[in-house]
Amino acid sequence: MSALDVTAEAAGPASDGTRVSAPPPAISVRHLWHRYGSLDVLRDVSFDVAHGEIFGFIGPNGAGKTTTIRAMATLLEPTAGSVHIDGYDAALDPDEVRKIIGYMPDHAGVYERITVREFLEFFADAYRIPELGVVDAVIELTDLAKLSDRLVATLSKGMKQRLQIARTLLHDPKVLVLDEPASDLDPRARIEVRDLLLELRELGKTIFLSSHILTELSDICTSVGILERGQLVVAGPIGEIAERLAAERGSRETAAIALPGALEAPSGLRASGTGAPAEVGVAPAASPLDPGSELGAVVTPGGAPIPQATRKRLRLRVLGDSQAIVPMLEGGSGVLGVEAGPGGSLSLYYVGGDQYVAEVVRYLVSSGVALVSVEPERNELERIFLEVTRGDLT
Amino acid sequence: MSAQTGVASIPPPPPSVRGFSRLKLGLERLIADPNPVWMRELKAAARLQRTPVVLAVTTGMMTLLVCSVGGIAAIDAEPAKVGVWLYHTFFSLAFALVAWMGPAMAATGIAAERSGGTWEALELTGLGAPAIARGKFLGALTYVTLYLVMLAPVGALPFLFGGVTALEVLLAFVVLGGVAILSVTFGLAMSSKFSSPALAILITLLVSIPASIAAYLGLGVGLSFAANGLWHGVAAGPPVWLPTAYSRAEFGVEYVTLLILVPVALVALPAWLFHEITVANMAAPSDDRSTRLRVWTLVAAPFLTATCVACGVAQNDAGWFIAGVVALLATYLFLGFLFAGEPLAPSRRVEARWAREGAGAGRRFLGPGVMRACTLLLLLVVGSFAALLGAAAVTLRVPSERDGVLALGGYAAAFLVFLTGFAAWTRARSRSSGVPKVLLLGALFLAVVGPWIAMAIAGIFESSERALLVAAPSPLYAFHLHKVISSGGPDLNVAVLAGSVAAASWLLIGLGLFALASGRVEQRLTEERAVRAGLEGVPVGSE
Repeated sequence: MSALDVTAEAAGPASDGTRVSAPPPAISVRHLWHRYGSLDVLRDVSFDVAHGEIFGFIGPNGAGKTTTIRAMATLLEPTAGSVHIDGYDAALDPDEVRKIIGYMPDHAGVYERITVREFLEFFADAYRIPELGVVDAVIELTDLAKLSDRLVATLSKGMKQRLQIARTLLHDPKVLVLDEPASDLDPRARIEVRDLLLELRELGKTIFLSSHILTELSDICTSVGILERGQLVVAGPIGEIAERLAAERGSRETAAIALPGALEAPSGLRASGTGAPAEVGVAPAASPLDPGSELGAVVTPGGAPIPQATRKRLRLRVLGDSQAIVPMLEGGSGVLGVEAGPGGSLSLYYVGGDQYVAEVVRYLVSSGVALVSVEPERNELERIFLEVTRGDLT
Repeated sequence: MSAQTGVASIPPPPPSVRGFSRLKLGLERLIADPNPVWMRELKAAARLQRTPVVLAVTTGMMTLLVCSVGGIAAIDAEPAKVGVWLYHTFFSLAFALVAWMGPAMAATGIAAERSGGTWEALELTGLGAPAIARGKFLGALTYVTLYLVMLAPVGALPFLFGGVTALEVLLAFVVLGGVAILSVTFGLAMSSKFSSPALAILITLLVSIPASIAAYLGLGVGLSFAANGLWHGVAAGPPVWLPTAYSRAEFGVEYVTLLILVPVALVALPAWLFHEITVANMAAPSDDRSTRLRVWTLVAAPFLTATCVACGVAQNDAGWFIAGVVALLATYLFLGFLFAGEPLAPSRRVEARWAREGAGAGRRFLGPGVMRACTLLLLLVVGSFAALLGAAAVTLRVPSERDGVLALGGYAAAFLVFLTGFAAWTRARSRSSGVPKVLLLGALFLAVVGPWIAMAIAGIFESSERALLVAAPSPLYAFHLHKVISSGGPDLNVAVLAGSVAAASWLLIGLGLFALASGRVEQRLTEERAVRAGLEGVPVGSE
C-alpha cells in the first residue's frame, strides 16, 4: 500500500484509541493541523505509509516536518487531526505507540560519560526489555562491537548517530521515525547510515525519515512526501510522482496552447486538502519523445516537441573532441541545445525522461562515439522537489 | 533481567497488593532491580574524575577547620565544652554543605537532560516521569550521602572530646539526612522547570541559600529557646538542638508530637510536594499533570488544619489560633498560585485514558481542569477555616479574644475565596498558564498595599482612626480588626462594620468571578471543539 493508493476513509482512524479491524497502515496521518498562537504550522496534512516502506519526508526549514514527526512520536498533541501508528492513536494512546516506534530526534544527545554498551544497557533497562541478549544483538546489527567499551564521549558524530539508531532498535520497534538522521555527518558516515537503514528495511522495519539531502533520500526511499508551508504538496513513490508530474506538465502545455497565459498553476500536483492522502495528477504519462504527444504543437527548429516548463541538462563526456559530436545531436527530437566543453565534455539540453536519455546514449554508442560518462544534471527527487515547491518559506 | 546489573528483575506489584506488603516488595525491587536512571547516574558519576578530588578536599578542609576550632577552644575550656562547640560547629557546616550542595547538584539533573538532547529519548522509553524523577532523586541523594559518609569520621571528633554522646552524633547525621532529602527534592523541582543547567543552579542557589539561612536561624537558633522551655536538658541558643532533644527530652505525647511527627511532616510533606512538582513539570502538556498534586493537597491541607487545630486546642491560647490562621492563609495562597496555571480542561489524551480505565467521578474531579482545581480549593478553604474557627469558638473562653480570632479567620477565608475566584476567572480568560499567576500576584499586591496607600492619603484630611477604615479592603486590616476587637475601644463598632463589609465584598466578588469563570471555560471549550471539528472537516482551499 502506498501513499498514493490509500484513501482517507480506507485507513479507518480509530478515534477511541483502540485498534481498527482492517490491517492498518504503519503510519496514517489524517487532517493534521497544528497552531502555535495564530500561526498554522501544519495545515490539513494527510498521508499514509505502508508497512516495510522507507518514507522520506522532505521540506524546507520551517515547513512543519519536525512538528509532524513530534506528533507521530506522541510528543505533541496536534490542534486537530490524528496520527495513527499501526492503528494506535498517537495522541490518545501514547503508551502503545511508544512500544511500536523507535524515535530519533534531530540533534539527539547522548550520555557522554558512559560506555557504548552501558548506554544501550541503560536504555534496555528503561524499556524494561527482559532479555540480556538484546543489547549484544543490537550492537552486532549496528556494527558497534569494536566500540562497545569505548566512552560515548570519544565517539565520532557518525558513530554517535549510529549509536542513536541502535538505541531506537532496542525494543524491536515496527516503525522507525528518524528526524534528519544524516545531518552534520561526513560523507562516509552518511553512507554508513544509509546502508544501515537499508539493512533495517530488509528486516521488515518501516522507516520514516526526514532529510534535506535529497540525493540520499532518492537512493533509499520507496516513497516521499514533500511538505511546504505546513501543507503536504505531494506524496507517493518517487517514480510514480515523476511520471505524473510529466503528465501534468503535458496537460499544462496543452492547456497553454489552447489558452495562452494559463501556465501558472500546477494545481493537480498540489495536495487536495480534502483529507484524502495526498495524490498527484491523474493524467496518463505523456513523454515529450512520443511523436503522438499533444506537445507536438510546440517544436524546435528541428521539429521536436518542446514543453517550456522544464529544461534538463545531460552532462556527457566522450573520448576525443566533443565538438565533433555537436552536429550529431543538434536538431534532434527533444534537443534544445548542445554545448561542447573542454576535455571531451558536452552539455545536452533536452526535454524528456529516462527513456529519452537511454535513446540518446544508444544513438551515440551506435554511432561509434566513445562515451565515457553520462550524468543527469540533477536527480529525479531534486527535480520533483523544485517543481512542486514554491521555495517561499513561511 | 536488568541489563545494567545483570540480575533478575522483580515485576512491579499488582494493584491488589497494598500496605506493608507493597512497601516490602518495593524495597526488594529497589535492591534487586534498581532504578535504571539511578544506575546510569552512578556510573557516570563514578567516571567523573573530579569527584574523589572534591570529596578529599572537602573532607580535608572540614577536618582542618574542626581541628582549628577545637585547638583554639581547648586553650582555656574543658574538653566537654570543646566537644559541644565542635559538635555545633561541625554540624552547622555540614548543614550548610547539604543545604547548598544538595539542591545545586540536583538542579542539573533534569535540566541537563533537556539541554543535552536526551530528554525525549528518555521520555519515550515508557519509564514514566515518576520513575525518572525517583532515579534522579536517588542519584543526587547518593552523591550527597557520599559527602556525609566522607565527613563522618570528622563528625565523630566532638564525641571524643565529650559533652555530646555517640547517639547524639548519630542522630545529628540522621537529621542531616532529612535535610538532604528536602534539599535534593527541592533542587529537582527547580531543575524540572528549566532547560539550562547553569540557570537552574543559579536560581536554585538564589532561593536555597537564603531559605537555608532562615531555617538555620529560625528552626535552629530560634526554636532552641522554645525547646529549652519544654525540655530543660536541651540548651537554649545553640542551633543543633534537635538531635540532642531526641536523647535528652522526656518521652511522652509532646515528644512524639513535636520531635517525631512534626519533624517528619516538615520533611515529608514538602519533599513529597517537590517530587510531585518535578513529576508534573516533566510530564507532557497533554498528560495528566494535576492529579498527583491534587492528592498531595488533599493530604497536606487536612493535615495542616488538624495540626493547627490541635496546637490551638492543646495550648488554649488565641496566639496559637492566630498562628494557625496565618499558616492556613499562607498555604492556600501558595495553592492558589499552584492551581492558577491549570489547563482549562483535561486533554483528549487524559479523557481517553479515563475512559479506558473506567475512572470514577472522584478521580475525574482530581484531574486537570481549572474549575475542578478551584472548586477543590474553595472546599478546602471553607473546611479548614470552619474547623479552625469552630475549635477557637469552642476552646477560647475570653469573648474578646475569641471574637478577635473569629474576625481574623473570617476575613482571611473571605479573601481567599476572592483570590480563588480571581485565579479561576483570569485562567478562564487567558490563553497561557503563566499570565494568570502574574495577574494573581498583581491583584494580591494591589489588594494588600493599595488600601493602605489610600489610607495614607485619607489621613491628610481625616483623623488616623477614621482614615484606617479606608484600609479595610486590605487583608492586613484583619489584623487591625483583631487588635481592635481584642482590646476593645471607641471605634470597635465602626471597625467591625468596615471589616465585615470588606470581607463580604471579597467573598461576593470571589464567588461572582468563580461563576463567570465557569461560564467562560464552558464557552471556550465549546469554541475549541468547534474549531477542531472545523479543521478536521473543512478543506484547506475553502478557508
